[in-house]
Amino acid sequence: MTASPSDTAATSLEELAAALAEAVGGSYEFAHGTAKVRVEKDRWVESLRAARDDFGLIFFSWLSAVDWSNQVEVGDALTEPVEERYEVIAAVADISTGLIVLFSTDLEKNNPRLASLVGVYAGANWHEREAHEMFGIEFDGHPQLIKLYLPEGFLGHPLRKSYPLLSREVKPWPGKVDVEGMPGQEDEEEPSTENPEA
Amino acid sequence: MTTRLSADQDLVRHLSEVSVSVELQTPDMTLNIGPQHPSTHGVLRLVATVDGERAFNVQPVIGYMHRGYEKLAEVRNYPQITTLVNRIDWVSGYANEVPFIIAAERLLGVEVPERAQFIRLILTEMARIASHLVFNASYPLELGAATPLFFALRERERVLDLLESVTGGRFHPNFNRIGGVKPAQGAGSATRKVIQDLPKGFLAETRAAMDKVLATVNELEALVAGNEIILARTKGIGLIPPETAAAYGMSGPNLRASGVGFDLRKVSDYLPYGQFDFRVPTGANGDCWDRWWVRLEETRQSASIIQQAIDSIPAGPLLAKVPKIIKIPKGEIYVRAENPKGEMGYYLVSDGGLGPYRLKIRSASFSNLSILPWILEGTLIPDIIAIMGSLDFVLGDVDR
Repeated sequence: MTASPSDTAATSLEELAAALAEAVGGSYEFAHGTAKVRVEKDRWVESLRAARDDFGLIFFSWLSAVDWSNQVEVGDALTEPVEERYEVIAAVADISTGLIVLFSTDLEKNNPRLASLVGVYAGANWHEREAHEMFGIEFDGHPQLIKLYLPEGFLGHPLRKSYPLLSREVKPWPGKVDVEGMPGQEDEEEPSTENPEA
Repeated sequence: MTTRLSADQDLVRHLSEVSVSVELQTPDMTLNIGPQHPSTHGVLRLVATVDGERAFNVQPVIGYMHRGYEKLAEVRNYPQITTLVNRIDWVSGYANEVPFIIAAERLLGVEVPERAQFIRLILTEMARIASHLVFNASYPLELGAATPLFFALRERERVLDLLESVTGGRFHPNFNRIGGVKPAQGAGSATRKVIQDLPKGFLAETRAAMDKVLATVNELEALVAGNEIILARTKGIGLIPPETAAAYGMSGPNLRASGVGFDLRKVSDYLPYGQFDFRVPTGANGDCWDRWWVRLEETRQSASIIQQAIDSIPAGPLLAKVPKIIKIPKGEIYVRAENPKGEMGYYLVSDGGLGPYRLKIRSASFSNLSILPWILEGTLIPDIIAIMGSLDFVLGDVDR
């Protein structure tokens, strides 16, 4: 095999993350080839502006959130309890070297608010609208914070861990073995044709 | 006769007075395009304010194809998720699986056999050729040239048949497994000793098919590049400067058409692209023409990569040894790949369970499309079609 670019890229990525963390007054993590810089939410826009202007990370890749929650309606609960919060993540890259850095900040569960990045990266517009409708995060200073995918009037924030998955409410997942029961077996009932409302 | 003439003169005088005394009004009109309009590549809706022949304040309305894969992934286990993700960009379904499966493998810490990596690379490039051929079929059609469609789709059919022969699926292959690719069918209880590998003759057939793809690409270029109407409708239309493209997260051929030689195949090591010799075509102006040309040239490069990979593919197993029930250790990772539409990435957060705690899907078309309000501001209405077509998006890749 020819020399893989990963070794040199990995060291320079970690160095970049360390330099960024120092410049914006945050901390950084580097694992599995992924560099993440944690910043305070008050310094969110300022940090990303510094990343763009001083470090050449001009490419806005994506923005989204993780709902860290101990009570989950869908999926498996966390094995260890965490501090409940929304973690907002923005990924920005340098298109001359290809290095990508994730910026992350924590928001409280009650009334999560964050300053909008649209003034720094125009591409943040749609990503913030998506995070707004999916997680209920308010982005202050966003020019048009309306729903993106969901119809107007849709209630709830579907990607929150507290939001149930309706198809699972109607029919539970068959379980570990991904096979449905044979017709007529056990509690298999004919679908009712009667109107339940009547 | 004289009365008639004087009546006409009266009318002319009257009209000339109207034109000077009353200012002509051109009230703004709201024009709705889609979501079922054929030029929108699916179910995209545009609401534009039209002043004469020009469009202003164009607002894309998306979400008609939103299937909630990020939520569904939270209740699926890892092997089940590949069936979801190859439906994101269905024009190149295979390519969507690759970055997800690599993210899971890297968190699990499993070493993928080299032969499996080569097969992934070959199939990814075939998916790229299929995707770019669809673009080469549909884009000239939108500009009024019907013939390239038949050339391009005939060739794409050849590629899809080959994909089907090895994966069993033309659009949704679901061919990747954590630790490698799916071994070939037919190893029943009586034939358990059969060496599990690709179907016989697949590599030789694919190599020969690539020569035909290259020949067709030449034909397509001859058909389109000399067409005066297409030149007039694409050259200098829909210019995107590189800084704007980057700020909107525009990636893939659209970004390279703006002159940025950014290609994840060159700077990332998700597949062994470093072993092959290929060029990254870039455009000079960032107009619709460049976006067409970059994709055409990339098709050639992909065919060449496939031939090089087939010539040097090592022997060996297709699947690493992995546990039957796969639990991914705690951790988070972001893996991206150069997909036909641009950067496709998965941010995977695992809590040590059978499925992800959170899976963020970064799809290329979403960011590529988000530039529409900026680029369509003040354009002529016919140019909307030319510009949208040149961005080569798939609504499944936008809505996820």
